[in-house]
Amino acid sequence: MNVLHDELADFSHAIIKGAPSSSGVVAPPHYSVTIGLEVYRNNYRGNLQDALAGAYPVIEQLVGTDFWHMLARDFISLHGSCSANLYDYGAELGDFLEDYEAARSLAYLPDVARLEWACHHAYFATDAEPLDLARLSQVAPADHANLLLHVHPACRIVASVFPIVAIWQAHQAGGSFDIDWAGGGETALVSRQNDAVNVHALKADAAHWLEAVIQGQSLGMATAATLKRFPLFDLQETLLRFAALNVWTDFSLGETS
Amino acid sequence: MYPPATSALPCVAGIGLRAPHYREVLDTLPDLGWVEAHSENFFGGGAPLHTLLAVRQHYPVSLHGVGMGLASPAPINEGHLAALKRLCDVVQPARISEHLCWNTVNGDVINDLLPFPHTHAALAHVASRIDHVQAVLGRQLLVENLSSYVSFTSSEMSEGEFLAELVRRTGCGILFDVENLYVNVRNLGVDEDVFIRAIPAHAVGEYHLAGFSVRDGCLVDTHDHPVCDAVWTLYEKVLRHIGPRPTLIEWDGNIPALPVLMAEAGKAQLRMEACDECFA
Repeated sequence: MNVLHDELADFSHAIIKGAPSSSGVVAPPHYSVTIGLEVYRNNYRGNLQDALAGAYPVIEQLVGTDFWHMLARDFISLHGSCSANLYDYGAELGDFLEDYEAARSLAYLPDVARLEWACHHAYFATDAEPLDLARLSQVAPADHANLLLHVHPACRIVASVFPIVAIWQAHQAGGSFDIDWAGGGETALVSRQNDAVNVHALKADAAHWLEAVIQGQSLGMATAATLKRFPLFDLQETLLRFAALNVWTDFSLGETS
Repeated sequence: MYPPATSALPCVAGIGLRAPHYREVLDTLPDLGWVEAHSENFFGGGAPLHTLLAVRQHYPVSLHGVGMGLASPAPINEGHLAALKRLCDVVQPARISEHLCWNTVNGDVINDLLPFPHTHAALAHVASRIDHVQAVLGRQLLVENLSSYVSFTSSEMSEGEFLAELVRRTGCGILFDVENLYVNVRNLGVDEDVFIRAIPAHAVGEYHLAGFSVRDGCLVDTHDHPVCDAVWTLYEKVLRHIGPRPTLIEWDGNIPALPVLMAEAGKAQLRMEACDECFA
């Protein structure tokens, strides 16, 4: 086993880092070991590049094909894969772009990448039954404050100081480039309904409240905190709107606070 | 101890089901013997899984894994195995297969199908991992021979001998990829007759056929071309020695229109039927 481990660690180093391989790796007379290893190196990079391109179609459109190739190559050289499922590859692209000198002029790129990753995650997330609202309506009013709402595994919130929802929508099929750059940032809610991934811009109060609920706060705590900051927050309307977006799967009753 | 190698797949030709054809297959329900899908593509829920379950209502499905890394030095990734188990529970595939390869060392994953030295130590290691996978799945696994671009001087046996011994020790079956054998014949000088003779015919549950490309004299298993004449000839030879089995056309790059893929499956079907007569 140790011998196998050492040989394969050496082989992996040759593929990932481009190091020369040990003398134990051989090729036939009609091509060299270098050519054989180069096939593995190309497969390694190519598979990761394809995975990134699959997850980040909007980023690729925003930066153009040539820049995208350079960006993907630089990302791959810093971030190896740690999952045998290629759909898990590329989660760190948003953070990577934060520090990527060549893309500094497109300051919104990191947040658009985070939004795309949330969409990618939502597409493959596990299934969950939607909440039965009739069951929720049977909860005694005295228990309302202790309700813990369970959020669908596909749901994610991405907040930005840029209009990321408008940018994202502009790059979907039939999207319009009517982006209000002066209108401030947007907070995106990503959810999945009938297998389709949806992106919605959230109002500030609804975003504030949903963030608290996702963090595990009870209905009472989350609503009190949101009302303190946003006195006009409408709990009923927000809760039902999120139900319509397939955000809720279930509920439970937390400890009495 | 696990369901035997005689397949629940019909002994006819099938196709690898890939995303560009999902809609057309479900809308038109073409005459396909069976389909094979890459397990990892369906580990989550949502559209991919629901599409596969819809397809499953009309065709036998075989699940073909590309990520288990049976020969990786690291312990089996239990999360990956649990995801495969969940998928098998909902899909109830006719077959489950993985490759005789590795993909993980020291936490680094190389998302590819990598060769390793065929030593006695590696044999014991891979056999124990196959035992574990089969125990968790409660099903026999088909293990596929690999296409390789380099080999290891430390190997102590051929790939065919390695596979035969895995069958003996674990009761696993074999997915015989004819194109992979052809690639190894051309790249590494593997003797096709020695390989075929080493393979226990009773354990072979499925064949794969595909096209390759050539880079600097090296045949690369790209699955982006039609099956070439030499691979058809080798397939006929394998059929004569081992007998007909469910046969899959794999096409993963430059994926053609569905009728082209089906026509390719038809060529395999003709050869199986011709061979049926010689086995009758």
